[in-house]
Amino acid sequence: MNPSIQETYNYDVVRQFAIMTIVWGVVGMLVGVLIASQLVWPALNFDIAWLTFGRLRPLHTNAVIFAFGGCALFSTSYYVVQRTCHVRLAFDKLAAFTFWGWQLVILSAVVSLPLGITSSKEYAELEWPIDLLITLVWVSYAIVFFATIMRRRIKHIYVANWFFGAFILTVAVLHVINSLAYPVSFTKSYSIYAGVQDAMVQWWYGHNAVGFFLTAGFLGIMYYFIPKQVNQPVYSYRLSVVHFWAILFTYIWAGPHHLHYTALPDWLQSIGMVFSLVLLAPSWGGMINGIMTLSGAWHKLRTDPILKFLVVAVSFYGMSTFEGPMMAIKTVNAFSHYTDWTIGHVHSGALGWVGLISMGAMYHLIPRLFNCEIYSVKLIDRHFWLATIGIVLYITAMWISGIMQGLMWRAVNEDGTLIYSFVETVNAMHPYYLIRLLGGLVYLSGMLLMAYNIFQTVRLGNRQAALIPAPSH
Amino acid sequence: MTPFLTTTLLFSPADGWQAIRKANLSIKECYFRQVIPLALITPVCGYIGATRVGWPVPGADTVLMTLGSAFRIAIISFLAILVSVGAIGKLIQWMGQTYGAEQPLSRCISLAAYTITPLLIIGFATLYPPLWFIYLLGLPALGYSVFLLYNGVPVMMEISEERGFLFSSAILTAGLIALVGLLVATVGLWSFGLGPGFAY
Repeated sequence: MNPSIQETYNYDVVRQFAIMTIVWGVVGMLVGVLIASQLVWPALNFDIAWLTFGRLRPLHTNAVIFAFGGCALFSTSYYVVQRTCHVRLAFDKLAAFTFWGWQLVILSAVVSLPLGITSSKEYAELEWPIDLLITLVWVSYAIVFFATIMRRRIKHIYVANWFFGAFILTVAVLHVINSLAYPVSFTKSYSIYAGVQDAMVQWWYGHNAVGFFLTAGFLGIMYYFIPKQVNQPVYSYRLSVVHFWAILFTYIWAGPHHLHYTALPDWLQSIGMVFSLVLLAPSWGGMINGIMTLSGAWHKLRTDPILKFLVVAVSFYGMSTFEGPMMAIKTVNAFSHYTDWTIGHVHSGALGWVGLISMGAMYHLIPRLFNCEIYSVKLIDRHFWLATIGIVLYITAMWISGIMQGLMWRAVNEDGTLIYSFVETVNAMHPYYLIRLLGGLVYLSGMLLMAYNIFQTVRLGNRQAALIPAPSH
Repeated sequence: MTPFLTTTLLFSPADGWQAIRKANLSIKECYFRQVIPLALITPVCGYIGATRVGWPVPGADTVLMTLGSAFRIAIISFLAILVSVGAIGKLIQWMGQTYGAEQPLSRCISLAAYTITPLLIIGFATLYPPLWFIYLLGLPALGYSVFLLYNGVPVMMEISEERGFLFSSAILTAGLIALVGLLVATVGLWSFGLGPGFAY
């Protein structure tokens, strides 16, 4: 390439996704708070069909996972792949299509889910026309990402890109296989799988949505933004590569633990349990690498609240990847399954790991995209404390209510009859649902502070194009 | 007992930690004068609460735990507290290498023992055993313990506050993991028929 013509990075699409991360974060968490309050005061659905819990719950999960989490992944992966490959993102127009296409997917979800249009597959509720659009956007995403890697000006492919690449490829396979369906009308289709096969495909998809969308992708974020923020190399590059391959191989088998004690063959349940237990090792490989990289940056903590987000995110990653394998043990699962313990576990991963690492990454990224300083460092600090307090309230409330549910459900009289009716157990949950709502509100208020802070930052900034520096080696 | 150190710690954490560091308790002193007396509160109160006060059930008789089973659980939880203080102390010493804080085991055990003071004291709450009540009192106590941890690590381990923040977070993560482990162990024992017996 002629060195006299300086190329620039494509920050437009990164900026768009980054801003929408914040917007969808607020929306998704708001819906979460709404349905949490419906569990405390059921009258809050006002007897309007599209405001009922059953329709809003999938909207909440889709909004936080695919809208908030998805936009965070798109923006960071597009940013990281350009920066670490020292090259402009491939195919500007296709990249722009992934942005507008993805927003269209989200808007379709926002409309169709409250209307009750659903495939009834958990975390894949969207009907077939939207599924086709997702496939189109995702294939474009893969083309843009991998074409950029092929054009790289540095021989080495940085480990964050390995994680992003694995996440993009695997999610494509998962989405296509799980969503295969016979359409009967424009808004209704039926899965091509029947009975227990359908359940197995569903949870093969469901668990790997956690494993690849919410873990591998966000590990990619961790591997770029933690070293960047502390300005030090990754603690162990060898460990990062080893746990990358280990996590890829192991995660894909863990799905059956969602179907313990169901019609699924017993040996398959046992495989799911064993692989879930093995998964602890590669997961903790990532945690150790994150924590040890951060350990070198202690002198920056006083001035840099972003680091606190990253530290606590990795801590929650470590905690929930310990909790998960434990809950996959059949004996424990017989107790914990269908209780609020599961909800608590999911949210320690979602609020703690995915949420905090995304927020930390956005606080790092957005000022750089708009060529300015963050509007208020103090607000970041406030946000950190609100988020942490919110998570603690949420998780502890769900632990206790989960344990109580488990105990009450299996309590039997001498003659084997149940001691408690179902509604008695629901009644016993009431105080904890209130505390959970409070935790959610506190977490959401932190997110609102972030939205304000980012809004002010963007107002101060400008969108000057960034030149691509020459690779130093 | 070390009532002076304990009250100073609770009402003026910074002075308290300095005093604890100066007191330089040996492992034996720390256990006999601090951990064991305070660790008795939860099992004793829990025993009384579970066997005399019990759990009210709307529209039915109050649920009480049988004496034998409550006694067993009281003994197990007492021993569990003693063991976990030592284990956390050992863990702190081990992790200290990473954070440039190498201190004798007795110092690390003191740090662990005094950090959980609010939690051990709030064990009084188990006199009234319904969970929501224990949770309501336990959560602030837990929060205060975390606060003491973040304040105590830099003083006891003699490192800077920033480094202490990271170190404390690592200890807290280990603590969270231990908590989940405890949850799982309880469920496991329960499922193997070693759970408590109730009288209705």
